[in-house]
Amino acid sequence: MKIGAWILWTAVAMAFGVVVLAGYFVEWQTLLELRLLFMRWAILLSATALLLGILNLLAAHLHKVNLQESGWPYSALLIVILLGTLVLGLVFGPDNRVVLSLFEYIQLPVEATLMALLAVSLAAAGVRMVMRRRDGYSLIFISTALLVLLGTAPWPFGGAGLSTTFGWLRNWLAQVWAAGAARGIVLGVALGAVTTGLRVLLGADRPYGD
Amino acid sequence: MTFDWVGLAILLAFVLLLLLFAVLGRRWPAAFRRLPAYEGLSAAIERAVEAGERVHVSLGTGSVIGPESAPAMAGLAVLSKVAAATVMSDRPAVATTADGAMAILAQDTLRSAHARVGAADRYQPTAGRMLGATPYSYAAGIPVVLATEGVSVHILNGSFGAEGALAADFGERRHAFVIAGSDDVHAQALLHATADNPLIGEEVFAGGAYLNAGVFHGASLRAQDVIRVLVILAILAGTLLRTLGIGL
Repeated sequence: MKIGAWILWTAVAMAFGVVVLAGYFVEWQTLLELRLLFMRWAILLSATALLLGILNLLAAHLHKVNLQESGWPYSALLIVILLGTLVLGLVFGPDNRVVLSLFEYIQLPVEATLMALLAVSLAAAGVRMVMRRRDGYSLIFISTALLVLLGTAPWPFGGAGLSTTFGWLRNWLAQVWAAGAARGIVLGVALGAVTTGLRVLLGADRPYGD
Repeated sequence: MTFDWVGLAILLAFVLLLLLFAVLGRRWPAAFRRLPAYEGLSAAIERAVEAGERVHVSLGTGSVIGPESAPAMAGLAVLSKVAAATVMSDRPAVATTADGAMAILAQDTLRSAHARVGAADRYQPTAGRMLGATPYSYAAGIPVVLATEGVSVHILNGSFGAEGALAADFGERRHAFVIAGSDDVHAQALLHATADNPLIGEEVFAGGAYLNAGVFHGASLRAQDVIRVLVILAILAGTLLRTLGIGL
């Protein structure tokens, strides 16, 4: 086991982490400048990591094409489009009309389609949840979802009174019950995030490897 | 030079509690409440290993820089345990993310897990990969991974927005065992509907403790509980004082 290596990585992670964290609690110009410098380094490293991530993606799909694994034509298509976009971006620059068109007419519509698909998926998931999990929580979840929908959608019949009643009910559910519960959940998430960060700072968790 | 004494005191309290419970945890292990999601996970992984199917761990669409990295860091602890359990199977675990730096951390975690069980030669760098650079391009890549890799256990432990619901739904449609959690409240509501085993609130950070990833993971939950009680008492005291017309 490389004892020296992991101790060094842990010491580096702890030292940088402590300086950045201390910057939030101690107002001292030198410390603030140091924190800003480290954050800039982190952004630069993150951008480099994005490049490595793309190379890794390319390697994974090249491997699939080489072995002709199931779905390899899609991997081949991905490689061609990835390299094509890269070459166009390098030759014409990122502001070129052709490069922008790739994003405007391919990437954006595909992502918008997925967003639209989400509504259908959620409706199907709601039905599936009622079928599979018949407990009190599911009943509350579905009832609340229906009441919020009834309070949001326009009413073709029943007049303004019905719409106002359901609108009031929706606001009451969203602003009192849901907001209160969400605050509790956010509090729990914040506590969890702090302890997770502290584990990394203390060297108990070493995501950078042993 | 000025100090935020309150902030420093809370931070110090967290660190001391964490260290205290880490020491105590070796002698008096904590008893955690039942979490069906993690209870079913071990059996699901065993079934996947026996059937020659794969476990997929998604670390979300958040970046390493920023607060959204915390659930993914917790996800790496889950990945480490899952990877160690599946190393010797025909199809070891794979991990995906939408961030390049997180993909590198996933690779390091997988490499360490392989080395820990003495199977460093079985490690494949492409087992930890970036699927797409944006949340929805990442979600679009999920069905391909699930279908081509023969995934039967689909773990979502990271930062997700609405795209997390799609990622979970793709797993459910393949009848995989799906555990899903996020730090985002809206995403949690969506995951509650789409995943069979949703993780609510801080449960997304509890995977390491429930999978016995180390004493510090159990200590984290205990420290959180102590601070939570203190925060609740502070909120109640503040409410009471305001009700009585006493300003703080």
